[in-house]
Amino acid sequence: MQFRFSKFATVLIASGIISLPLTASANDSSELEELRGLVQELSQQVKVLQRKGELNEEDAAAAKKATPVVKAGDTGFGIESADGKNSIKLGGLVQYDYRTFDQGANDVRNRSDARAGTLDTATGFHDANDTWLARRLRPNIQGTLFGKYDYRFQEEFAGGSASVVDAYVDGRFDPAFKVRVGKYKPYVGLERLQSGGDLKFIERSYVSNNILPNRDQGIAIYGDILGDKLNYAVGFNNGVVDGGNASTSSEFDNDKEITARLFATPFKDDANALSGLGFGVAATYTDATAEKNLNFTDTSAADGTRNGLPSYVTNGQQTFFRYSPAAIADGKRFRVAPQAYYYNGPFGLITEYARVSQDVSLSTGGSVAAGGAGGNNLSDATNRIVQGSRKKLSNDAWQIAATYLITGEDASFKGVKPKNNFDFDKGGWGAWELALRYSEMNIDSDTFKNSNGILARQASSGEASTLATTDAVILGTSFADPTYSAKKAKSWTAGINWYLNSNAKIVLNYEQTSFDGGNGAGPAFTGTTANTFNAASNRVKDRPDERALFARFQVGF
Amino acid sequence: MKKSLLAITLLASVFSIAAPITASAKDVTLLNVSYDPTRELYQDFNAAFSKYWQAKTGDKVTVKTSHGGSGKQARSIIDGLDADVATLALGYDVDQLYDKAKLIPKDWQKRLPHNSSPYTSTIVLLVRKGNPKGIKDWDDLVKPGVSVITPNPKTSGGARWNYLAAWAFAQKKYGGDEAKTKEFIGKLLKNVPVLDTGARGSTTTFVERGIGDVLIAWENEAFLAQKELGVGKFEIVVPSLSILAEPPVTVVDKFAKKHGNEQVAKAYLEYLYTEEGQEIAAKNYYRPISEAVAKKYESQFPKVSFVKIDEDFGGWQKAQKTHFSDGGTFDQIYQK
Repeated sequence: MQFRFSKFATVLIASGIISLPLTASANDSSELEELRGLVQELSQQVKVLQRKGELNEEDAAAAKKATPVVKAGDTGFGIESADGKNSIKLGGLVQYDYRTFDQGANDVRNRSDARAGTLDTATGFHDANDTWLARRLRPNIQGTLFGKYDYRFQEEFAGGSASVVDAYVDGRFDPAFKVRVGKYKPYVGLERLQSGGDLKFIERSYVSNNILPNRDQGIAIYGDILGDKLNYAVGFNNGVVDGGNASTSSEFDNDKEITARLFATPFKDDANALSGLGFGVAATYTDATAEKNLNFTDTSAADGTRNGLPSYVTNGQQTFFRYSPAAIADGKRFRVAPQAYYYNGPFGLITEYARVSQDVSLSTGGSVAAGGAGGNNLSDATNRIVQGSRKKLSNDAWQIAATYLITGEDASFKGVKPKNNFDFDKGGWGAWELALRYSEMNIDSDTFKNSNGILARQASSGEASTLATTDAVILGTSFADPTYSAKKAKSWTAGINWYLNSNAKIVLNYEQTSFDGGNGAGPAFTGTTANTFNAASNRVKDRPDERALFARFQVGF
Repeated sequence: MKKSLLAITLLASVFSIAAPITASAKDVTLLNVSYDPTRELYQDFNAAFSKYWQAKTGDKVTVKTSHGGSGKQARSIIDGLDADVATLALGYDVDQLYDKAKLIPKDWQKRLPHNSSPYTSTIVLLVRKGNPKGIKDWDDLVKPGVSVITPNPKTSGGARWNYLAAWAFAQKKYGGDEAKTKEFIGKLLKNVPVLDTGARGSTTTFVERGIGDVLIAWENEAFLAQKELGVGKFEIVVPSLSILAEPPVTVVDKFAKKHGNEQVAKAYLEYLYTEEGQEIAAKNYYRPISEAVAKKYESQFPKVSFVKIDEDFGGWQKAQKTHFSDGGTFDQIYQK
């Protein structure tokens, strides 16, 4: 029994021994198949996931090509289509000034409607005011459509009311053929074409502010030729008075102003000392009849316009010259302006000359408020041009300004990018620039002479009726009163520009201006003697010097 | 006498200046915007056409090509990709060039023979060597565990042909029962792990990435995969029913005119119909419409029972609206 058990056990064990590997082998095989299937399935799933990842990347790359790009940086904020052909950009320029006058008058002498200020009874001048001033508050929208049509719309909120500064469309059909339509800076003055945020001084010079056009409405064709080394521009505009800034209303006369400019940068591609040299010449021409100019006060020069004629201001923006109320623009106006700049490393120089020849007559018409007889029709008996009174008066101005970046940045016609932005934590001090300018403005001597060629003041109220005949001749109406308006202004400006970064700037300017004439009669300046400005006697006194300190805080983007 | 002499001199001067200008050869660049799998076809064809055109006119033609999903390519042209010619996967996409942007005339399809389709193709099934999943017909694509690769009908012309071929099969199988047909297509789409945007993308997925058991493909693409992309690794299965695909071509009049390429663009497309053009199509596995060339390459192309887009689906406009426009059968099925 024991044997049988042993034998049975042996058989069981033997069968177990034999059968165990068989069972294990069968299980392994099926598990292996199962595992193989699982691995294959997992492998497929991994491959699918990888492929989907690839496709997502392809989709993302394709979407990126079509997704508009949002831009926010020191050049402004905007949106641009993926191909760069369409864009809109928001920009802005804020300039806040503090202006203080050690000495200076706020207008010509004896202005009855002088702006607020303390009247110096001894001289007849109102003091220029110390003031905080929002000089430019200009948000703008600009951009491109279809890759070649640029637009710009810039408003002005400084000065107590809102107005349109720029509103134009550019068609860039070819580098040599571009067209600009709207309200824009006419291609004339070099310094005027420099952006208001890039100016090296707080105010532009006499050339820009008093003679050449500021902004006008019209069309310009312009472009770069000869390897972009010669820029040309011609314009066909409504026309504005000296320093004038057209409103966006319709034209007041039918006579358009033609502008033309050539500006060369012949060495711009060279790497030598002349590469930063640019020079050119610009001109404007119009011919406007007096009748259209009578009472025309709609456009604004730096400080108002009357009868189509400007008034002129100092670099401190105080009026030093006004035409008499009877003077009226009557005929041709021609301006010419040679100009140049030079930049080499941290050194910059800009110089410009402008001369305007303006046909001017005397009228008996014009508004009563402006001193005329009233009415608008110069052909009637009351309101008429004084026969034979027309003169061609030529005024000119020039400036030369030098700048030097003491922190070593490169000077340019455009803004300055500091090597190190001002930063307390990192120790950067921004860029510092010294600036010095001399500019002057000369009024034609004939402006102050009567029809006999004698320097003549206006008769004061009540004086005219009591004048002797000789006096009446000598006091006969001139185009401007030398005892009120100065004949010449000469200004020195010294400045420091502190560029905190590409967008923020602090500017400090000291301005000193001296004048010839414009300050009442000297001891012998009477109606009975032919007078001159420079004679030892019978001379017109000079308006007191203007001494001013201006500070500006600017942010632009 | 003097006047005559002067006139002759002037005329001679004018002709002496004009003649070299008239006779001088030009460099012409043509842009062919095409669908995904035609890269190899047009690479060969462009070279042949350039040679032909230079011999004929002296002008040197450089043909640039752009490839992508047919629907996407049509949209690109509408959005401003200034193609001189469009060689797309289906007539509906070419119709869009008229409907959306008036870039071509409405009757564009009548301008060239055979409804402006110089070659045809069909839809076949490409499986891995040995056909491990035993795929023989469309039925097999809806079985659980079968992974099917086909592109997205929203962007790919080829995918729309695939979809319609499968739809035609299911309709026939279920006696026109639309619910069952949709259920069939739904099961098939559930077996699709990756929807590429174009046919070439699907080929990449199947051939190069090793994903899926079966690729629903253009016949020419299947041949290319089998004979050139992965020799010996794939087999073509011809289903019991497929669809006759007629990819059309057209001059994009507005852009060709803008480029001054009208004449050469027209000649380019007409050259597709010549014996040489048909030979190149056949060599690239497109079915030629020329009887002579078709006969020469008869053995290359398997016999297939076809449905046709016009006869069986009422034309591309109707097929598009029914199946592929927003809310069409594809959206109904795929979004479930």
